[in-house]
Amino acid sequence: MNLFISRDELIRWLDQLLRERILAAPVQVQGLTLFQPISKVEEVTLDFGNTTLSPKEWFLPPTETLFSMQGNDGHPQLVPSTIEKDAVIFGLRPCDAKGIALMDGPFLREPGDALYQERRVRTSLIGLSCHQVQPECFCTSVGSAPNDPNHVDILLTEVENGYIVQVVTEKGKALLPEGLTDSKEELPPPPELQDVPVKEVTRAVREFFDNPYWEQLADRCLHCNICAYVCPTCYCFDVRDYSNKGNLERVRSWDSCQSTGFTRIAGGYDPRAAKGARLRQRFSHKLLYFPEEFQDIACVGCGRCVKSCPVNIDIREVMSDLQQLEAKSGS
Amino acid sequence: MGLENPFVPYLATLKSAVDLTPDVKLLGVELENSAEKASFDYKPGQFALLSAFGEGEAPFGIVSLSRHGDGLEFAVRRIGTVTNALHELELGDVLGVRGPFGNYFPLEDYVGKNMVIIGGGIGMAPLRPVINQILEQRDNYQDLLIINGARTPQDLVFAPEFKTWMEAPRTKLELTVDRGDEHWGERVALVPDVVKEVAPSPDNAIAITCGPPIMIHYTLIVLKELGFKDNQIVTTLEAKMKCGLGKCARCNVGDKYVCQDGPVFTLEQISQFLEQP
Repeated sequence: MNLFISRDELIRWLDQLLRERILAAPVQVQGLTLFQPISKVEEVTLDFGNTTLSPKEWFLPPTETLFSMQGNDGHPQLVPSTIEKDAVIFGLRPCDAKGIALMDGPFLREPGDALYQERRVRTSLIGLSCHQVQPECFCTSVGSAPNDPNHVDILLTEVENGYIVQVVTEKGKALLPEGLTDSKEELPPPPELQDVPVKEVTRAVREFFDNPYWEQLADRCLHCNICAYVCPTCYCFDVRDYSNKGNLERVRSWDSCQSTGFTRIAGGYDPRAAKGARLRQRFSHKLLYFPEEFQDIACVGCGRCVKSCPVNIDIREVMSDLQQLEAKSGS
Repeated sequence: MGLENPFVPYLATLKSAVDLTPDVKLLGVELENSAEKASFDYKPGQFALLSAFGEGEAPFGIVSLSRHGDGLEFAVRRIGTVTNALHELELGDVLGVRGPFGNYFPLEDYVGKNMVIIGGGIGMAPLRPVINQILEQRDNYQDLLIINGARTPQDLVFAPEFKTWMEAPRTKLELTVDRGDEHWGERVALVPDVVKEVAPSPDNAIAITCGPPIMIHYTLIVLKELGFKDNQIVTTLEAKMKCGLGKCARCNVGDKYVCQDGPVFTLEQISQFLEQP
């Protein structure tokens, strides 16, 4: 049986949560909707289709210090970064929760990524079903849904006067406020979405790996990296040192396989210098290598890349083109 | 804090630094912590990430042989930011080591075979422990042929060891350079041409090659002409790397990660990669 929480109870609950731990929630920032740690419940916005950036940055921050070096003279010590507080992410969409679950593949496999893993263990996810969908959304085609409870600890679905509360995990149960009543309402049907066929896409990428399609598509790509920046499952990163007056930090930052020089080795040789090869890498990793390794394509259908690309490279079209090439070659 | 952070390197001290060529140094490195030192076990072909603190980290093949308690050796060519900083280190300075990473040359599978080792320039670095392990267990292998090329005579990285190699039983060393000088009495030719001329037999043989991409490209063509099959040709791939842990996705080639699945691959394996390195 699902529970019910009224709007007033929700506000009180969030207020209680933010006193005990970090509470990250959607906040309006200069026209963007971003997950930010909040200090007052009034900062939270619930009026959004999806956030401008996914909450991936909560687990893999755009930049973070991996360790610092102290006591430079004589005996230096390397001090690994630590996670200070437990956290709750409130208001994430089911597609973005799936994005986090997909990132678990590379980051939690042995040897586990300590900072990612620590954040994952100490962060609870309170999801929010979508009651309307955006033109770029296609989550149902890639194994999620506007009301998918699978990758959150608690899922809230808006109904009249409040929210239906689905408690998904034990971690979620521990977060619940006391005194919630059973929901008298049934879950509303989710909004309908466009259907983007993906069934043959993994095979099609393999089949058409050497097709001129990629060079042609890349001709208009600016390699601006916005697709990787907004993607909930893109996770390529760079590692660099920064030192200032003897204090040293080793810092990890987001990167993208679309960057020039991403694969350039000492001496200047770059096995993936061509634009087409780089763009192909983006789609091959998502649609072929990732599913081979982790049994699911690395796309959650949030459509952020579709919306953000300045030259209208649309992953839905790419998947469709490849499968059409496949169908044609088969006939 | 739960898990140990795999990005934090072992602290190590620079124990020795020998100029091998005008731009390659042999760095002798010793881990500071005795337990870490004792457990740092590795095989020919494996690599480590060296940290020049303040400049960054880069991958290097370990060119010494694993003997518990001894230091690690790296042949570092000065070519970028990290290697420049490593060259500037003074004896006693602190550096970082992460590893060992990757797979290795399965030398135990090659027992009883004729071994052909073909290296160019700094590409000799990962081949040095292969040669030295074969020489240590000389009776386990048949003939050993080493073909080593470099730009000039001064760039032959392991020249101080040539005498030992040449004098080993059933071992032949063929040297070549792109440009000779007045003292040079050996070949002036490209490595693939020397392979063609020396023409090692593919019978019961394994060829291991490493060098600049262009050398490898033409060497593979010659080896195939000589009758070597793809499963008799072994190489070690160089790739840009940031983590060594199969996460940063830099070294992703096709569905392989060079840092975890490699760096050692047979040509048979590479030819099945979707994307060619």
